[in-house]
Amino acid sequence: MLTCGLPRTLKRLAVVALVFAVGASTPSACAQVRSDEDVKPVPLLTGSAGFISNFSGGQPDLHPIATPLVLVPIGQRWVFETRATFENDLVQLPGRSGFHGGPVQKEVEYAQLDFIANSCMTITVGRFLTPFGIFNERLYPVWIRNLQSDPLILPIGIGPSNASTGGMIRGGFKARPQFNINYAVYFSALSTTSPVDSDRFAGVRTGIFIPKARLEMGGSFQHLLQQERSNLFGFHAIWQPTLLPLDIRAEYANSKRGSGYWIEPAYKLSQLPFLQNEMRRTQLVARYQQFFTGDLVSDALPPINTKQFEFGLNYYFIDGLKAASNYGRQFSSAGNLNVWTLGLTYRFVVPMGSAGGPR
Amino acid sequence: MRGNWMLVCCLGVMACLVRSALAQEQERSDKGSAVVASAGPSTANSNASHDRRSPPALRSTASAERAQRIEGEKRFRTNCGRCHQPPHKFPSRVMATAIRHMRVRAMLTDEDMRLILSYMTQ
Repeated sequence: MLTCGLPRTLKRLAVVALVFAVGASTPSACAQVRSDEDVKPVPLLTGSAGFISNFSGGQPDLHPIATPLVLVPIGQRWVFETRATFENDLVQLPGRSGFHGGPVQKEVEYAQLDFIANSCMTITVGRFLTPFGIFNERLYPVWIRNLQSDPLILPIGIGPSNASTGGMIRGGFKARPQFNINYAVYFSALSTTSPVDSDRFAGVRTGIFIPKARLEMGGSFQHLLQQERSNLFGFHAIWQPTLLPLDIRAEYANSKRGSGYWIEPAYKLSQLPFLQNEMRRTQLVARYQQFFTGDLVSDALPPINTKQFEFGLNYYFIDGLKAASNYGRQFSSAGNLNVWTLGLTYRFVVPMGSAGGPR
Repeated sequence: MRGNWMLVCCLGVMACLVRSALAQEQERSDKGSAVVASAGPSTANSNASHDRRSPPALRSTASAERAQRIEGEKRFRTNCGRCHQPPHKFPSRVMATAIRHMRVRAMLTDEDMRLILSYMTQ
């Protein structure tokens, strides 16, 4: 329920959410989910594991990471999903040989319950990845990302631990034969319990996807309901030309604590006429990004204006197993430095029950 | 100031690429419809010869299944490939769970989900 004490932006977001909810639940707008799936889903243990070596400014850092994801479908319309991260940073200590790390860091990244209300609306409650921009929610796992380093602007808009605690309404639908629309409207409550802390904010992300051009563009807006009560916004785009094995992704984010952008083209060498078996598994990637400081400071963001260029090469051995390498150079007034990364990532899928067979 | 110019340049390059892609798509679809139009009589002839061998009901079912499979593959590559490398096919019950997860995560439309699930479990 809205109260007079809530800011105008939050009321607007609530109205947008209400319009979506009412519109999406109207039978003429979206048909109810039909139970025409031929097979009964099975609980899954999936996720990824990786071993990433970073050399930043000449300092080596070994970074083993495992992120299991558990998916439990319940009935026809529910799914419970949770992802955890187990990681460690192994560094060289002065006067000692080898690499040393502290205890393994453990974190539940998200644990959410999804209810598929109808064909174009899903209601999510619990702790969920904040849908601000595209990187945090869709490109973050090590087996998905093209370059293993995080974009400089990643911390903008996603909260202190990349996740929100609260509720979300989201979905996608075909608005016209030429394009689809997707949306996410969310509210997060304040949580100070580490490592599941979150900020109090409300936001919306929407996008338009043109399947024929294989182009998705969208924007994010968020209103912070604590501290300086500021507005954050961003834009994102993904384009895959049909004639080339090329992906172009880009994102822009703006907040009181800083702003910036990144653009990342990735090209698979499958069109080269020689060594075709190897070339179709090889991908060249580049990313250019800039960050500009804002009026306020943030521990998670660079303290000074920074720009960084990276290029890398990925090789896909089999589906899910990838070798990644990249070199980058970071430029800032504090000094320029080289960033090297080498890594191996693996995506696994383990059914927790019989994997086949009809219902 | 320099950053703003960089941003404007990047957006300009992206806009040009998008326009180029849309123009190429338009050209391809125009060529496609021209090919279909020119191939019409011969296709009709081959269909006519095929008519003599198989019952119409079976033929239309097979044709619908083929069209659905092609559309499913197209949707699979377009939607899944936007974020990650398209995976190999999984067993049917595994895929049923994965597609439900991706429906939420990637905000797939109902139609996309059904076609992709159908393609991946065939």
